[in-house]
Parts: sequence; C-alpha cells; structure tokens
Amino acid sequence: MPQVVTVRVNRPTGRPVRIWVPLLPIALVLLPVLVLAAVVAAVAAAVYRVNALTALRTGWGVVSALRGTRIDVEHGRTAVLVAIH
Amino acid sequence: MNEQRKDILEMLAEGKITAVEAEQLIAALERSQPPATSTAETRPKTKAKYLRVLVDNVENGEPGRVNVRVPLQLLRAGVKLAALIPPQALGQATIELNKSGVPFDLTQLKPEQLEALIEHLDEVTVEVDQPDAKVRVFCE
Repeated sequence: MPQVVTVRVNRPTGRPVRIWVPLLPIALVLLPVLVLAAVVAAVAAAVYRVNALTALRTGWGVVSALRGTRIDVEHGRTAVLVAIH
Repeated sequence: MNEQRKDILEMLAEGKITAVEAEQLIAALERSQPPATSTAETRPKTKAKYLRVLVDNVENGEPGRVNVRVPLQLLRAGVKLAALIPPQALGQATIELNKSGVPFDLTQLKPEQLEALIEHLDEVTVEVDQPDAKVRVFCE
C-alpha cells in the first residue's frame, strides 16, 4: 500500500514547494467517508450485478499498485512532480 | 566460432604450427577469455516493473518534458477492474467510440487478451521523433 505522496511544484517566480503527504493518517481521518464510499460501492455493485467482494478486492489491488507511480511534467521553468511511495 | 580460435586452426591446417602447439594456444585463449555466460547479452533479462513514457517537446520556444512512470502491476490491476465493467456499459462505450470515428468493439476485448498484452509489454519500445517533439514509450 502507498505510504507517502510527494508533490513538488517549481514556479518561475517564488520558491519551489515540496509537500510530503503521509497517506495513513489521512486515511484514518477520512475513514468515515471511506466507509460511506464502500457502502455506496456495494450498492452500485448489487445494482449492476457485480460481486461486491470481488469489486472491493480489485479496488484495493488498484490502490496497492499505485506505489511507484511518478508523474513529472516540466515546461520552461515550471515543473510539477507527483510521486507515490 | 571465435575469430582467434579460427586463426589458430587455420595455422594448424597450413602446417605452420603443430597440433600440440595449437592445443596450447587454444587453452591459453580460453584462459584469457571470460566465460560466455557472464556477458551482458547472455545474462537473463530482469522482468520489467514499470511502463515509462517520456515526451520532450518545444512549445512556444520553451522546452517541455513529461516523464511518467507507471507500475505494470497497476496496469494489471486496471485490467481486473475493467473486467468488472458491466457489458451494457461496454456496449455504450463502443457506440460512442464508433461515433467518434474509432471502430473498436470493447465487448470483444477479453481480460485474458489484455493480460497477455501487459505480459509482453516489456518487449515493446515505441519511439516517435519529430523536429519539435520526441516520444519514447518503453518498460524498465
């Protein structure tokens, strides 16, 4: 499971900004929302006749596989980097 | 056959050296050369873990660069997720694709075909070179 998301923004003016976002504390804070989202997903799965457990497992697989993703965009003196660790 | 070994055998055939001398030369040659299994070409390739997309371009006179690294595991998970899409949704998406001029039937695409595609992605390298842009897609 991803642990930290790093966001770095370099702008032509001003200092570069680098933010480390720890995902576990955020997930804990958002736990009520996540539970609600899981319930909505389970209802949607039932409506579309999809196995809710399989859908949940697959969704978790997608989240887990995000680790190692890195998106780096530069244009002139502006740059944005998003990395999932 | 190795070029030096061939030279030794030719000298033996021409009678310039004796069989014993040829044997000694070949033995010396083998000692001086590292085993073939340790060369880079014969070393087994490690399995690719990431899909990389690199784009270098110049827009409005300013250089731009996009560097994306996506774990192949994420693509595999995406394929599993795509397998959960209801057939009616795939049908609608196919109709919209056809309307947009993309004659592609998503309902005919099977998850196992996508799996096979991802499994063989590590052998694929796509390079596009243009005067103001360069695109590279490969696995590492």
